[in-house]
Amino acid sequence: MIPGGGGAAAPARPVPRDALRRQAPYLFGLAPAAILLAAFFVGPALWAAYASLTNTALVGIDAARPRFVGLANYERLLGDPDFANVIRNSVVFVVGSAVIGQFVLGLSLALLIDHAERRGYRLATLAYAAVLLAWVNPTVIAGFLWVAMFDFYNGSLNTGLALAGTGPVDWLGQFPMLSVVIANTWRGAAFTMLIFLGALKTIPSDIYEAARVDGANAWRRFWDHTLPSLRPIGALALLSITMSTFGTFILIQTLTNGGPGTQTEVIALYAFHEAFRSYAIGYGSAIAVVMLLINFAFAIVYLRWSRARA
Amino acid sequence: MTRTIDRRTFLKAAAATGIVVACGGDQGAPAGGGGTAKGTISGTVTVSYADEAGLKPKYVQLAADGLRAKYSGVDVKIDHQKIGSGDFYTKLLLALNAGDVPDVIHVGGDKIGELADAGHIEPLDGYLKQWEDWSKVYPDAVKSGVTYQGKVWAIPYGLDTRFLFYRKDVLDKAGVGATWTGPKNVDDILEVAKAVKSKVAGVIPYALYAGPAGDSGTANHAFIPLLWAYGGDLQKDGKWIGDSPALRKVLDYYGRTYRQDLSPKEILTTAKPWTAMREKLGLKGELALLFEGAWNYGGWVTKDKAATERNVGYALFPTATGGPSFTIGGPGTAWYVTAKSKNKDAAWEFVKAFNTKEIVAKLNIEDPHPVARTDSAEVAEFKADKYLVDSTESLKKARFAPPDANFGKVIGVIQKATARVATGEMSADDAAKRYTDELRQAVGADKVITQ
Repeated sequence: MIPGGGGAAAPARPVPRDALRRQAPYLFGLAPAAILLAAFFVGPALWAAYASLTNTALVGIDAARPRFVGLANYERLLGDPDFANVIRNSVVFVVGSAVIGQFVLGLSLALLIDHAERRGYRLATLAYAAVLLAWVNPTVIAGFLWVAMFDFYNGSLNTGLALAGTGPVDWLGQFPMLSVVIANTWRGAAFTMLIFLGALKTIPSDIYEAARVDGANAWRRFWDHTLPSLRPIGALALLSITMSTFGTFILIQTLTNGGPGTQTEVIALYAFHEAFRSYAIGYGSAIAVVMLLINFAFAIVYLRWSRARA
Repeated sequence: MTRTIDRRTFLKAAAATGIVVACGGDQGAPAGGGGTAKGTISGTVTVSYADEAGLKPKYVQLAADGLRAKYSGVDVKIDHQKIGSGDFYTKLLLALNAGDVPDVIHVGGDKIGELADAGHIEPLDGYLKQWEDWSKVYPDAVKSGVTYQGKVWAIPYGLDTRFLFYRKDVLDKAGVGATWTGPKNVDDILEVAKAVKSKVAGVIPYALYAGPAGDSGTANHAFIPLLWAYGGDLQKDGKWIGDSPALRKVLDYYGRTYRQDLSPKEILTTAKPWTAMREKLGLKGELALLFEGAWNYGGWVTKDKAATERNVGYALFPTATGGPSFTIGGPGTAWYVTAKSKNKDAAWEFVKAFNTKEIVAKLNIEDPHPVARTDSAEVAEFKADKYLVDSTESLKKARFAPPDANFGKVIGVIQKATARVATGEMSADDAAKRYTDELRQAVGADKVITQ
């Protein structure tokens, strides 16, 4: 995804022939990645763009003889009240779990652990490992862990409530969006934390020494030194988690599968459900193409933003 | 994942002309198998089926052994997948579209229309002419259940019927009485559920499937019987019925059920909610009322026969006005030969080897369904089982969903409408209007009427 955005932003200058020869080893080195991207991203994306202009289906007469329908799928999408709802859900999910949840929690964890490590607290490593564990799990296992937490009948949360003499609460039925946001925040905070921990290590400590000598308190030191140093890497982290959260599929599928009704149906699930539950491949592809365009827009905005700040 | 699979479909689309020609050729000569002489059958047959409960493998094996014994040149490759039938079907469709086809498949008889239109399955009429059992022991009702556009596409063995199951012990505690034999009308179901809710702690009153999570159960085990109970129908003269007074009453029934917390909201989010509901009613006594597939009784009896017979009652579905009770039937899961199979004659021989009097009787005793073959019902063990006899009897009062290629799409529309009302997102009347819009979108505006 990023190479497309990067390529668009790069200066377009004609490359002289001998320069091309000089760069041949690099191009050769890039080839495997380029071929993989072409085979597993560009090719299928182009196919989805093509399929979105047809009424291809998995069953019925449209499966035997798909027809070219022009922009009909996109027209339908614009008038589809469910799609408006799906976009709203996606925005709430991304802002809630990526921008607020993962980013803020990841940054806070990084600051805490960095602080603890500088002071030599042994528990810092343990906390670090615990956060990392949530992230190294396969997503589907993370999803089932939260099913085990939220489950109405046998879930840990309701078992706990029963011990306290209250409950049970129908977590996924009454607070579906909040539940998936919490699960995804838990799952993804480690990534942001790792990035920020790396960035914090690069800030030379003599800046802090100088600031301390000047009499700056902890808050001023954070605001004037730590935060500006983290900004460029922060923008990239935000870009990365926004795009991956926007495409979230497995976690929500295991937890609520978009339900109840369409209350947690995000764009990736909607594309999947249209294509593989309603078997309307054409319409599902149109949704996927729109999703791709939105992700490109995100990529461009964030890249520009991070360059301007850097 | 989505995109890689799409690409395969593309390859298929790119070669569309070739495939259409190939299919046309095959369909033009369905009787090709009819002329096959005995003993010339050879090669490998791949049989693909899903079974989570694990009751079928030994019978599939039995059929495969029978086929191997009869034709020395035939080998049977069994592809048993331990996944739900819905997931299996999606997987199978992708394989069929990619051209990676098993010879024999085992899916719901209600898929005939959409599979036939897609050119995925082979009509069996040519083979049936040579199979005298078909005319002798299969009743016309069974035949019509697997006939689409004048051709027979699948061989069923165990038919579907459904009952309203109830817990006698719970209803006794709720003051409804241990002698209750079923609701007088549709509202009576909710009255009984309310009595359970107010008087029996720790028991879910009623499970009314709704939304996409309920899968086809939302349609077959909830929406469609309710629609019939209120005097409505899915189709009239081949057109799908959108908004109608009966539809509004059905959706209002959903609204009343979920607003009063008579049916649990987890049905809307839990994957395969029926797993928990069936267990709670049949084994745990934690659910009082459930309209479900009659076959579930078999699982409960296997676990604890005495307790099941003591505590679980079953009744037909009532109408809104206290008219004669009914149920919803279906062809059950059936065996198909795929259109792109390279070994159709041998594939058909497998289907035949499975659908013998003995296998059909034994499997349906173990996994209780009314039998598709009348001679299987004559087996002593089958006749001695009161539940099986009652199930078979219930089919006389059964109605059936139309064998329409768009039925699968309509189920999707039903799921959305019921979820909207059950979650409280929409009123019954608004959801009924949306139902019409979405029905038009799904099947084409010219195929939808309102009443």
